[in-house]
Amino acid sequence: MRNIGGLFLLMLVALLLRSTALSSLAARGVVLDVLAFSAVVWALRNGETSGATFGFLLGLAADLDAAHWLGRHTLALALIGYGIGRLNQTLMRDRPATHLILIGAATVIHQIWTLSFEIGGLAGWPFLLARVGLAAVATAPLGTVLLWIVQRVSGRPIFGDVAFASDSGK
Amino acid sequence: MGGFLPPAERRSGALLALYAILSLFLLLAGERIPTAALRGVGAWVFAPFDRIVLSADRMAAAWRENQDLHQKIAELKLENERLVLAGVENNELRRAQSLPLARRFALRPVEILALSGEVLPTAATVSAGRRQGVEEGDPVLTGEGLLGRIGETYDDMSRVTLITDPNSAVACEIESTGVLGVLKLASTPHARLVLANVPLTDTVHVGQRVLTSGYSRHYPRGLAVGRVVSATPDASRLMLEVEVAPAVELSRLRHAFVIPGTRQAGMP
Repeated sequence: MRNIGGLFLLMLVALLLRSTALSSLAARGVVLDVLAFSAVVWALRNGETSGATFGFLLGLAADLDAAHWLGRHTLALALIGYGIGRLNQTLMRDRPATHLILIGAATVIHQIWTLSFEIGGLAGWPFLLARVGLAAVATAPLGTVLLWIVQRVSGRPIFGDVAFASDSGK
Repeated sequence: MGGFLPPAERRSGALLALYAILSLFLLLAGERIPTAALRGVGAWVFAPFDRIVLSADRMAAAWRENQDLHQKIAELKLENERLVLAGVENNELRRAQSLPLARRFALRPVEILALSGEVLPTAATVSAGRRQGVEEGDPVLTGEGLLGRIGETYDDMSRVTLITDPNSAVACEIESTGVLGVLKLASTPHARLVLANVPLTDTVHVGQRVLTSGYSRHYPRGLAVGRVVSATPDASRLMLEVEVAPAVELSRLRHAFVIPGTRQAGMP
């Protein structure tokens, strides 16, 4: 039950940020992919089943909000949630380097997939790639720093990484 | 095949397959699913939270904005006096020519609660709905120019289809020259507003203002839409492709005005 509450809370925060502060930034060309970031965080913490479900529900809400191409965000985010959830047992989940790579990769996948619906023809690809690159460069470091701050403030690993917990204790 | 995987992994794999199938179904048939009611529920759920987030952002900007507004009011008062005189003169001339007089529109102020859409915002949720007399099709504008029109109405909120929506088309003219065209969103090579159907023989200059022409009967005539950024021959070499920068800064939307009841009143 607590997990479901957390799922909806994270969805709410992500969608709120996306439709307010981040939409203004996005219109100026700085895309902070809060959807990909949330999917990564949830999947790292809860595994592939919950990660895929979170990605699907978050994507569905984002698709409904955008009003065009239902299913666009759902597919990409469900796959990201599943993929990262599958990896989470084999990764050092509380390492900033892991966060940086995963958030960056998830942003690139999500942005390429969703923006490809907006771009018509080959001529649009340079623009798409520039935008995807900018989104990854902005989202990955900022997301990593945010997770690092949360980790430092709480004083314990966010994703329950045993190795990290014992490292930190030394 | 399934026997190779542990039950938990089989279950999550099946769930992912279900989500993928659902997503593909939505991609193929999503446009036919009526989603307006769901978006209405979403807007209703998010409105209080949007207000909280926005009020924090707006409080910070309110002081600076207040100073600017005082200055603008003083300037506009002076300009208004000049325009009133010009208006009287214009009405007299129109009467003399037996032309219909220009009508005034009532403006209903609304707050922009949320924006949605990628690359460029394509829709906005505003703080007035059916109860406030807002109807589908009512034009929405800011002091700078046209924003779009009401696409969906709920009890106390509405959803505005912005001029940057891929399905939006606005009949426009270029100020002073009267060159006509239809403003649409072009996605190649990147998302931008383009004035289409302008013959190559028409003269269009960079910097000219683009206004609504009133020919579509969706918008009154003379609302500012944007400025010409470039005018180049299109692929067919028969038409001009006129790129237009929107008059309204879409990333800084806070307040707007609805012109209610324009459908019944008729355009322009």
